[in-house]
Amino acid sequence: MSIYEAKFEKLLKKVQKPARYTGNEYNSVHKEVTEGMMTFAFCFPDVYEVGMSHLGIKILYHMLNERKDTFCERVFAPWPDMEDLMRENGIPLLSMESHTPIAEFDMVGFTLQYEMSYSNVVNMLDMANIPLRTRDRKITDPFVCAGGPCAYNGEPIADFIDFFILGEGEEINNEIMDVYKKWRGTSDDRNTYLEEIAKIEGIYVPSFYDVTYNDDQTIKSVKPNRAGVPEKVRKRIILDLDNCYIPEKIVVPFMDVIHDRIMLEIFRGCIRGCRFCQAGYLYRPVRERSVEKLTAVADSCIKHTGYEEMTISSLSTSDYTELQTLVDNLLEITAHKRINLSLPSLRVDNFSMELMEKVQTVKRSGLTFAPEAGSQRLRDVINKNVREEDLLRTAGIAFRGGYDRIKLYFMIGLPTETDEDVAAIAELAQKVIDVFYEIPKEERKGRNVSITISTSSFVPKPFTPFQWEPQNRMEELIRKQQFLKEQIKSRKIVYNWHQSQVSYLEAIFAKGDRRLCDVVETAVKSGCRFDGWSEYFDFDKWMAAFKENNINPEFYAYRKIGHDEVLPWDHIDTGVNKDFIMREHDRAYEEKTTPDCRQKCSGCGAASFKGGVCFEQKKA
Amino acid sequence: MSKRRLKFSKTGMGKYISHLDLLRAFTRAITRAELPVRYTQGFNPHQIITFALPLPIGVTGETEFVDVDFEETASNDEIMEKLNRSLPPDIRILKVGELNCNAADIVSAEYKIRIIAPCAFERDKVEEFYAQKEIPVIKKTKKGEKEVNLAEYIKSARIDEISGNEINMRVILAAGGVMNIKPEIMINKLEEALGMGEFDEVYIHRTKIFCDENGVLKEMY
Repeated sequence: MSIYEAKFEKLLKKVQKPARYTGNEYNSVHKEVTEGMMTFAFCFPDVYEVGMSHLGIKILYHMLNERKDTFCERVFAPWPDMEDLMRENGIPLLSMESHTPIAEFDMVGFTLQYEMSYSNVVNMLDMANIPLRTRDRKITDPFVCAGGPCAYNGEPIADFIDFFILGEGEEINNEIMDVYKKWRGTSDDRNTYLEEIAKIEGIYVPSFYDVTYNDDQTIKSVKPNRAGVPEKVRKRIILDLDNCYIPEKIVVPFMDVIHDRIMLEIFRGCIRGCRFCQAGYLYRPVRERSVEKLTAVADSCIKHTGYEEMTISSLSTSDYTELQTLVDNLLEITAHKRINLSLPSLRVDNFSMELMEKVQTVKRSGLTFAPEAGSQRLRDVINKNVREEDLLRTAGIAFRGGYDRIKLYFMIGLPTETDEDVAAIAELAQKVIDVFYEIPKEERKGRNVSITISTSSFVPKPFTPFQWEPQNRMEELIRKQQFLKEQIKSRKIVYNWHQSQVSYLEAIFAKGDRRLCDVVETAVKSGCRFDGWSEYFDFDKWMAAFKENNINPEFYAYRKIGHDEVLPWDHIDTGVNKDFIMREHDRAYEEKTTPDCRQKCSGCGAASFKGGVCFEQKKA
Repeated sequence: MSKRRLKFSKTGMGKYISHLDLLRAFTRAITRAELPVRYTQGFNPHQIITFALPLPIGVTGETEFVDVDFEETASNDEIMEKLNRSLPPDIRILKVGELNCNAADIVSAEYKIRIIAPCAFERDKVEEFYAQKEIPVIKKTKKGEKEVNLAEYIKSARIDEISGNEINMRVILAAGGVMNIKPEIMINKLEEALGMGEFDEVYIHRTKIFCDENGVLKEMY
């Protein structure tokens, strides 16, 4: 029991939603830390309800706790009401299970799911009283590591992170603990541990690389500053997803979290290669779990959690090769147990009403599709292989099947976009409405149709063919939003859009380099946190932080970058060759699509992992 | 009769589980235990579970009750054993049996209260507080706020022990559908009346629930 326990408990009566901090949920793990054991604080840099909706934390938390020599605890960002109380009362950031100060842990690991959580990462380190900069940490301080999609370009927070973990964590997290166990007590120099793990594929120690700059502020080179460190750090993946750790006794929260259900991960990667989508490039190649394994895992998860809902998780559910069999198997388990099965991420080109009928026994309300661009020309540019006729046909099936609300997701500010393309978004939505009214009344169950258009602003991301692209200026994005609004004539269409200021910051940090570390620290010190939450996001404070550090944010977001420029993440190897990405970039301008991985291999380089879709038996 | 009354305790961090979350925790525990529970008919079937009296957030309890509609095939012992294996650690089933009182007849509840204050308690002052005939307090209702007389809600109050900065009391407060008050409101008023400054620690623990059956006061069990 920690000395802060009583003090902390007193605060629980004063905050909103105390269940965010109490823990003790069913399947949560409690251990006594004995001599020789290692402790890992798994930090999610957002509030409990968001963190507990994330599959990755569940996998790694339970996996590390399978080890007898390790106790992994969870840590979430305290909501500002709690943070204020903790700071007032001199309570540092505490772990969820044992209320132990984070600074007392051996390892502190963050998952970086979105750029807008960087302020929370730094703020949590500050609350933990861990020296923010890696160079200031002593032998008694924990090692701070970070993984997740943003770790692939973690440069904007590189000064705060001792090492990044690139790729899938099921093997590598065990390896770093194994090395730590041997290393602990053998040296007073933190670097000796880091040098040891830098040999592990997937470990990137940013302080072991020096970055030099050209006069025009672009990067000249990124080079290792010592021997034994790879020039390029390659990501790690799990080739055989059937034989890796899958948690079944997962923590069941008391409070309502955002995704409060069993998430059955059916495959990793995506065969499609949409040119804006970072996940589609980072997680190559596609690797599937078998129907047998998934059925067994689903059954076990249901038994151990008591959840009333299960969802299939992947980047594109329809692309699972044996979806029909899987759904049939799952329904056999779920139907008589009164468990709802949901199938997100279905594609419009092979949408099957039969499948939807099967899984949607109770609720029949809205369907969501993501054409991403309004015109066929622009969809070809971004390689979103969805055709208008597919969408309209699918809408027709859905209307006949009793749906009357359809949500359509688009991006604005995509490369090569013209006002014509933007107007096409409104036209497409109108066509969907026309489909509804063309169906004779007696053949559609819904009386009133409603279409929601949501647009997000395009954010160019590293490792995608659009990584060299500038983002549209905020004024331009706002103009396009306004323009689109004017194009919408029907009252049956509702239009929602994202705040362009958030997208701008995302673009800066997605493609940022190490010089942004100072900006992040200044922003946090001035009070920035929970930037993903509109009630706390403070754009002016961020802009002031850039100004104070003499850094022009436009350099990162608005500059068209040449193919020959050294990128801040060029020393990271995702398995996809830069040549391929350049080719895809060129093809975008030629408005040429690229076939998916199952139609034809386009030679991206991911075959070098020697597994997955690259070696699937090609179907005749 | 397939409806069973489950007596349970909610302790430790469990006191921060809200009523709605508790219902969900029970539902999932019953599902995990694979007990033969009955569901409501209709479009969105759910388990037939009714709590006797919601416990306010921040208050622990050792005589809480929930009625669950099980098939007759499940024995009381089996329900207790299986549920204790499938419930989160801060909720424990203490007894499974028949229903004695009706939850609609609940009129009051007993709370054991322990307070640690920044200075020593004076018995006279505490007794003075409870002896008052009029204690106006603001009570939040669904419609807004209204002023009520707290004295009418305090059925009895007994000081078990005072030792320096610490006091242990047993208070019976109105509870249930007709008149209900949260113990926290009384504590806040007491804190204000004693003028000792903000209490350092307050522990509230519900120990008994009373029903009025045709004028006879009975303890729920």
